[in-house]
Amino acid sequence: MIVKILLSIWMAVIIVAAFLYAGAAIGFPGQTSRILFFHVPQAWIATLAFLLSMIASCIYLAKRRVKTDHLALSAAELGLLFCILATATGSIFAKATWGSFWNWDPRETSIVILLMIYGAYFALRSAVPDPEKRRVFAAVYSILAFVTVPFLVFVVPRITASLHPENTMNPANPGMDPKTLKVFLGSLLAYTGLFVWMLRLKMRVLRLEVLREPEFVDTVIGEEGNLEPNSE
Amino acid sequence: MRSGRWLTQTGPLTYLNEATAIWLRDLRGEFRTRYAVNSILMFAVTTLVAVSFSIGSFRIGDAEKPFLYSVLLWIILVFSALSGLSRSFVKEEEAGTIDVLKLSARSQAVFLGKLFFNLTLLGALELIIVPLFILLMNYKIASPGHFAAMVISGGFGLGAGTTIVAAMIAQASARGALFSVLSFPLLLPLMITAIKGCERAADGMNTAGWPEVRIAVAYTIIMIIMSLFLFPLIWEE
Repeated sequence: MIVKILLSIWMAVIIVAAFLYAGAAIGFPGQTSRILFFHVPQAWIATLAFLLSMIASCIYLAKRRVKTDHLALSAAELGLLFCILATATGSIFAKATWGSFWNWDPRETSIVILLMIYGAYFALRSAVPDPEKRRVFAAVYSILAFVTVPFLVFVVPRITASLHPENTMNPANPGMDPKTLKVFLGSLLAYTGLFVWMLRLKMRVLRLEVLREPEFVDTVIGEEGNLEPNSE
Repeated sequence: MRSGRWLTQTGPLTYLNEATAIWLRDLRGEFRTRYAVNSILMFAVTTLVAVSFSIGSFRIGDAEKPFLYSVLLWIILVFSALSGLSRSFVKEEEAGTIDVLKLSARSQAVFLGKLFFNLTLLGALELIIVPLFILLMNYKIASPGHFAAMVISGGFGLGAGTTIVAAMIAQASARGALFSVLSFPLLLPLMITAIKGCERAADGMNTAGWPEVRIAVAYTIIMIIMSLFLFPLIWEE
């Protein structure tokens, strides 16, 4: 509870600071560079969530704990949400600076493919009736999809050049304004906190749903509160 | 079936024996019903006729031809393949032979047998559609060897990327649509590469080293190895 309140205060401070404390970066039309404080953390959370989902899938295949599958599913759902948010905010920025909402910039291409992969992931999950099979198939598919990502990273940039601003917007660059850097890192922290909170909430919901479903009558609550399938 | 002998032996050769037996059995079944061949080929021919009829061989200027024709060719090939490649596993599920197959061969051998069968289907598809496309569309290709290598390696990639997905969707509901939905994101990197490779082969510029062919071969190898690791998990459920 106290964490939730602190998180909301921190988030509010970051939003105010993003507009009032940090200055607009030079070389961007008007105030457009302020999207940095929202768009980049969203993209970062989406990447983190998909990576987490893939790792949880691997662990699920090895250990077969229902809880790990819940982690993979929750992370994938939140990843998709943040991925859509990042696409929408990026698209607004693209319209303001490059003149059109969509340009098939390499990052735009890879984010579309991520959206398609996780769209397919949820289609697969809803199409397999047997819960045990559903978890294994989803895990296998998420690993397969992850394997094709390096091809996109190396193949697509050969075909088109990136329009993404790298120098003035990259935090690793010493040219970044210290005030901007402060707010940016604060925003990264706020979004990560938000993600962790939402992830825990989603996993709790999934656990309660499992307890209600008739097909899970044969599951029992394990010693450490883990849900374990009943060994026959 | 001489299955008793294989189960007592181990090693890579016996895996290949089992895979070959499954491959030949599937081919024999396919010769009797011609279900997969008919659906894939008719889909491809219909699409090709629609494209050729609506565009013709003179509508697109010579400068644009290498790229646009390569896009059209790969859209025809990929979606025809997606229309029928899931048959290899779906038919086992429908005929109820899947349990016997699980008992009579090891899982990796089943995967390899089905992969060989899908590659045979893709080979037949490309053998018929690619020359027909070149004839109908008046597609001029500057370096035919490079083009052929790209088409063949792209075909291998298509088979490698879709076989394990076919095994998954055979056990799901809503099979037909799901196969395309699941396969397409996995195939997209391969498809972008193959389009670029065929474009370069057709206009004959910057073909040194055939980089796209090498990417397609790498994709094929990685997908086959990953499938060999992951296939037992979905097959022995």
